[in-house]
Amino acid sequence: MKPFDIIIVGGGGGGLYAAMEAMKTDPSLKIAVLSKVYPNRSHTSAAQGGANAALANKAKDDSVEMHIFDTIKGSDYLADQDAVDILCSEAPKIIRELDNMGTPWSRMDDKTIAQRPFGGAGRPRCCYCADKTGHTILQTLYEQCLKKGVVFFNEYFALNLSVSGSRMKGLIAMDMKTGKIEGFSARTVIFATGGYAKMYWNRSSNAAGNSGDGQAIAYRAGIPLKDMEFVQFHPTGLRKSGLLVTEGARGEGGYLVNSLGERFMARYAPEKMELGPRDLVSRSVETEILEGRGFDSPAGKYMHLDLTHLGADLIKSRLPQIREMSMYFEGVDPIEEPIPIRPTAHYSMGGIDTDNFGRTVMEGVYAAGECACVSVHGANRLGGNSLLDILVFGRIAGHTAAKEARSFEPGNISKEEVRESAEEIRSYMKPSGHFERYGALREELGQTLGNNVGIYRESSLLQKGISDIEELKERFKKVRVFDTSDVFNTNLLQVLELRNMLDLSETVAAGAYAREESRGSHTRTDFPNRDDAKWHKHTLATFEGGKLALGEKSVTMGRYELQERTY
Amino acid sequence: MTVAADQHIEGKRDVTLRVFRLNPQVDSKPYYDDYTIPVERGITVLRALNYIKENIDASISYRAFCQAGICGSCGMRINGISKLACTTQVWDELSKCREEGIIKIEPLRNMPLIKDLIVDMDPLVAKMKHYSNWVDSTMPEAEMGKKEFLVSEEEFLRYDKATDCILCASCVSECSILRANKEYVSPAVLLKSYRMNADSRDAIHDVRLGELVQDHGVWDCTHCYRCQETCVKSIPIMDAIHGIREDAIESRGMKDTAGSKHAEAFMSDISKKGKLVEATLPFRTNGVAWTVKNLLPMAVKMILKRRTPPPPPLVKPSKGIKQFRAEFKEMSDHVKQDHKTHNK
Amino acid sequence: MKRYAYYLSCINESMTKEVDRSIALWQKDLGIELVHLHESTCCGGSNLDYVSPKHFALVNARNIAHAEKMGLDLVVSCNTCLMTIRTAKKKLDASPELRAEVNDILKAEGLEYRGTSEVRHLLWVLIDDVGLEAIKAKVTVPLSKYRIAPFYGCHILRPSTVLGKDNPLDPSSLDQLVEALGGSTIPYTHKNRCCGFHTLLVAEEESLSVAAEALGEAIDEKADFIVTPCPLCHTVLDGYQAKALKQADIHSSIPVLHLSEMVGLALGYTAKELGVKRHIVS
Repeated sequence: MKPFDIIIVGGGGGGLYAAMEAMKTDPSLKIAVLSKVYPNRSHTSAAQGGANAALANKAKDDSVEMHIFDTIKGSDYLADQDAVDILCSEAPKIIRELDNMGTPWSRMDDKTIAQRPFGGAGRPRCCYCADKTGHTILQTLYEQCLKKGVVFFNEYFALNLSVSGSRMKGLIAMDMKTGKIEGFSARTVIFATGGYAKMYWNRSSNAAGNSGDGQAIAYRAGIPLKDMEFVQFHPTGLRKSGLLVTEGARGEGGYLVNSLGERFMARYAPEKMELGPRDLVSRSVETEILEGRGFDSPAGKYMHLDLTHLGADLIKSRLPQIREMSMYFEGVDPIEEPIPIRPTAHYSMGGIDTDNFGRTVMEGVYAAGECACVSVHGANRLGGNSLLDILVFGRIAGHTAAKEARSFEPGNISKEEVRESAEEIRSYMKPSGHFERYGALREELGQTLGNNVGIYRESSLLQKGISDIEELKERFKKVRVFDTSDVFNTNLLQVLELRNMLDLSETVAAGAYAREESRGSHTRTDFPNRDDAKWHKHTLATFEGGKLALGEKSVTMGRYELQERTY
Repeated sequence: MTVAADQHIEGKRDVTLRVFRLNPQVDSKPYYDDYTIPVERGITVLRALNYIKENIDASISYRAFCQAGICGSCGMRINGISKLACTTQVWDELSKCREEGIIKIEPLRNMPLIKDLIVDMDPLVAKMKHYSNWVDSTMPEAEMGKKEFLVSEEEFLRYDKATDCILCASCVSECSILRANKEYVSPAVLLKSYRMNADSRDAIHDVRLGELVQDHGVWDCTHCYRCQETCVKSIPIMDAIHGIREDAIESRGMKDTAGSKHAEAFMSDISKKGKLVEATLPFRTNGVAWTVKNLLPMAVKMILKRRTPPPPPLVKPSKGIKQFRAEFKEMSDHVKQDHKTHNK
Repeated sequence: MKRYAYYLSCINESMTKEVDRSIALWQKDLGIELVHLHESTCCGGSNLDYVSPKHFALVNARNIAHAEKMGLDLVVSCNTCLMTIRTAKKKLDASPELRAEVNDILKAEGLEYRGTSEVRHLLWVLIDDVGLEAIKAKVTVPLSKYRIAPFYGCHILRPSTVLGKDNPLDPSSLDQLVEALGGSTIPYTHKNRCCGFHTLLVAEEESLSVAAEALGEAIDEKADFIVTPCPLCHTVLDGYQAKALKQADIHSSIPVLHLSEMVGLALGYTAKELGVKRHIVS
């Protein structure tokens, strides 16, 4: 196969935007998107709420500057301020661009794009399409990619980067339909594989495949990961499954109520109430539960998200997906009764360390979206900024890669390298010495992360988490793939995803243990305060000499000085 | 405010999932495997399959991703009906079993099988491309991002429901015509085509419509409503199909098709007699040559059985036809007026 | 004697005259009287609704309004007429503007659509008004020697938002009637599938392939005959049977009865009286 100029790994919003922009930047390039699911299945579709942009359609006095400030403050001052500037300045343009391409935004009476209030934002600037915003954006991008003739390798699973010395030569991946391992020689690779929060499993709102494949591949290739300890817990996951009830439910006026019937947010954010930032609301819910004001059930303790006062019409027209999910997964109709919720691991702020152009430290390797950490979200992401992130930085990474691709020699992946990769995979299927079951390991990983690396963290818990993960990694060496077939071996895929989650969980726990302060989503009960003197910096996790090494990186300031973060 | 404890007492019982199996590498023909597992209330079919895969048989193969009913990956036939495994409750299915306590799980129909419950989606993607299932913007690429289109809420509502489609392909699997001919456009692609054609930002309405009225297009739908009945997002797909037809009849240049002529014959007959003139419907739809070639042998049999519809002069008009014609004409005037207002 | 306004379907006045004839034979036996509504016009046959939505509303508002004037429910014996008229009723009931517009036209005829009459299939009347027990009591020639394939047809089931009587995915009303008449039904997975009628003139090959599947299963299951509550389904399954089976390379045949004929047989009328001889497949 002729080498590719750009291989994009991941077909969600970030990957698709990167592909379109790269084609636009240089139509003569050979570009392909490689995705383990059909692109329209990607997890972008699950983003319900919307995307922030200071269009000032709803609040005429909104501005890019206010959006920048809200984002920096929301990040607990850990975001790089020049990156936030790019994010917020590009926002109105990218939302309009999507509109120009056919995204069905909800509309206001004056026919402009509708906007609604969202947590942590000073103005109503979240653009939306009912409660299916991510879904419709993803559809639009996929449609436009089909129109442009983007080349897709659908249902290909990325395994490793091929690297010789410091030079990236391409990507090794498996065709899931045949089980064949293939080498994709490439000048550049863009990772856009989404987040890693599914390592929390049942206490995660993520899709089953959000195993951080791109981050794990980059990590194993020696590319540093940044701020991995920052995992956002969304306050309103469904009790049983961890599936998400969008913040839109609170944006439209839903109440959080404890077992005493109190709107308890009055205690924690008297002004913003339910619309406080996510980390704060999650901690508030968790505190209420820990202090005994939760409801009890065999599926765990929970709170009520009450929409009943909003009325059937509003719920049906503005929040139809939420209603459907409550009925499917909890058997509760939110028109009639409150929805049982508890916090759920939802978003990974950390990811592959990139500069403002999507570049990693390795030449020819780029990353964008939730898979990357630029960083625009710092210690806590604001609702409505994640869709924005994948669009803005997906486009930037596509543009940068297209501009720079020709400056790199095309790689050449040897047959031996591909064969070695295939043999490694077949080794999981050997009966001798392989007996550990995938399901058990994954379950234990989720549990130890939830219990020891969850919303509230503390030294001894984190130590326990780290040693559990070490032990799980040992046991993983003996994992057995029981299905030995080639065609669509989903058992093998699950095991490969688990390997990625295990590699990344170590970086999350190590970062959380090292960071002796509380900031944004990272709350240490033994270090309850933000410690700017020691910890106003990013952590870096690098795989060196076969093990994890922690480093650091300074935060780019320049716009707003450090302040206490209150709402 | 306390919640009664019994609200959460969840029963448990043994349930058998009878799963369709075929690994093309080793099996020459499909077979079914039975898995009996304990299931409590509140468990979805997908969770039950996950349980089997993790604890009993790691080789059963199916797609699943979001597990929340939005990605569309886990479409399969459960007790014969195409739906999403992740939003289907095991206990709800128990009342629909043909054999007591046995839930049948099979792959979607009308698409090539890859393995077990996994089918090939590529043919559907190819059709989306063929029928230009995208907005081809009236705005040149270089101008994009500078200003918003102004779109009315009324327009948004015209395609709001259609944009709920998650391409799970349940409708594709249930379609009567696709079973007979895999070339047929398919309900999902008609729905998306309708949505694009209703969008004022799109520039290729006529091109797309021109493609839709060709063979294997919109006129081949047989109104069986299976797509709509099984849509996992409750999208009124038939409204979209009828919407495309209405559009084709209104647009000049799209009328020269059998489907369009057939539909318009109803309008014409009703306006004259209040009744359908069935005898001449075949050649008004397809022309005389087609009718002679295709229907003459059958016509002979029907004449022998005195089953032929009466020739036009013998079709008795409805009682009070004069008054009816006047009313019909008055409505025609209303419609003309509507068009005028609309075009303004 | 319970009375109903009876809607005259185009096809029952031309190609399937035996339907109305057979009903006329036995209606009084079951204590019902269908008053023919000679003013009724073609419902639009699942086509007028998109050719001209407003004419569609007018025509069917008028059909129903005639029944309302008589103070009776409107009963039909064709699935597509049922679905079509009920669709119009649903639209009229949901829109005061549309109702006002058609009523403004209808008043010249002294009619007003008010939404007071139900639109029902004959099968529903038999089950809900006459009752299965009452029917059972009237059976003189039980159909006990027959294995019967009940073919519902689409438009008595779907869209369920318009029809709503049977479970569209697993209907049972026709099965119940067969059993009340002393017959037994075969397990028939095609019972709620499509006959292909509405594309016969547009995509004949596809239509016949759809029909052949339904016929083929009934033949394989060794049913003695198929019964259907819809004259359009009957036209395909009987009239086009030879052509459909030839296309599918099936060398056999199977009689297809109208619902009204099956009831008549059980109530003691002869096949000849009921018009069964007029069918193409005997």
